[in-house]
Amino acid sequence: MRCKEATQQLQLYLDNRLTIKQVRALEAHLAYCNACLEELTIIEEVVNDLQTFKVVVEPDDLNAQIMRRVAIAASQRNAPASRFSLWHPTLLEIVVAATLATIATIGTILQQPSIRALLPFANGHDGLSLAFLNILHTLMTVDSTTLIFALWIGGTILGICITLILAGAEMRTQWFKAMMELLPVR
Amino acid sequence: MSEHSLQSSHTIGIPLTNAVPSAIEQDDLLLVAASKNGDQEAFAQLVQRYQRRVFNLVYRMLQQYEEATEITQETFLAAWQGLPSFRGDARFPTWLYRIAYNCSLKQLELRKRDRALQVALEAEKILEDANNEQRENAELEARDRQVLVQEHLSHLPAKYRIVLILRHLQDMTYEEMAEILTMPIGTIKTHLFRARNLLKERLQSLNRESDMGYRGW
Repeated sequence: MRCKEATQQLQLYLDNRLTIKQVRALEAHLAYCNACLEELTIIEEVVNDLQTFKVVVEPDDLNAQIMRRVAIAASQRNAPASRFSLWHPTLLEIVVAATLATIATIGTILQQPSIRALLPFANGHDGLSLAFLNILHTLMTVDSTTLIFALWIGGTILGICITLILAGAEMRTQWFKAMMELLPVR
Repeated sequence: MSEHSLQSSHTIGIPLTNAVPSAIEQDDLLLVAASKNGDQEAFAQLVQRYQRRVFNLVYRMLQQYEEATEITQETFLAAWQGLPSFRGDARFPTWLYRIAYNCSLKQLELRKRDRALQVALEAEKILEDANNEQRENAELEARDRQVLVQEHLSHLPAKYRIVLILRHLQDMTYEEMAEILTMPIGTIKTHLFRARNLLKERLQSLNRESDMGYRGW
């Protein structure tokens, strides 16, 4: 056995991680190699120093402190309202959200001729429905992809607005902050 | 450190050795099952059983008593909150040690980032040193080799420090360390080898310096 190999095995020897064959070979090497024997003694000293480390006694009230925090965590987990704790919209927010939701669904209603016929407006004769049909016609004449894109953009904006209004002021602030952080330039 | 009680690892009530009888493992499983159902009394028993070992692991990683107290609390709190995900694939203490190690690493990262705190601590230390110069000198004289080893241990990289702590303070096998640190046994061997060698080299260089100083004086 060479010294390099022996040196690499010394720590495993101290940790009893060598096979009997390896132990015999190493001990045979150590019997005549003073350098490796000295190395073993030094590592043994380091290991002994480490093993005589004192155990540090924890604070007397550590258990009580831990269990206090556990009790708080448990009570928070059991609280039924905690999931919606940030959700408390005002009356005005609910009204605005409801209005926007109505606007968002009105397009679907107006697309149905049978429903349109029942309404006093948007039946093709009043000003509102004429204006709507004119806009629709203009978009259709540009091309159908543009129409779908415009509807998609409008629907998304309306959806975001409704969600943010219903989410409440605190959630809105958090959302705006998160959006601002995503911006590359502030 | 001196103000905190120290005991030899052979004299404390709870043995640090990991040769845990299976009866305790069975009891752990029962207590874990009860804790999962929200039984805080059962969890308090688990805390009582493992708090010293966890505290010592965290303390040796962080080397600060108050910080170790806080991180030990966080470890057990994280364990309580993570109990639903504990499937029993590993033994409870193994799982707990993994949490303690991760919490310690997180704290070490926070320490690195919080430079202001470090500066403040250093300033406080300088002031304290100046005020207690005489006491400090007496302590320096009283320092023995083991204290030096502890100091050098605290300056080793965390990945090397943890293997030495687990192996020599917590008396763990290579297999247990591999399970806690989620590393192959080969990596554990390498880390232990490098850690002890680093410690050995630092102590040797210190010995050389003190020899030279002694001769020069």
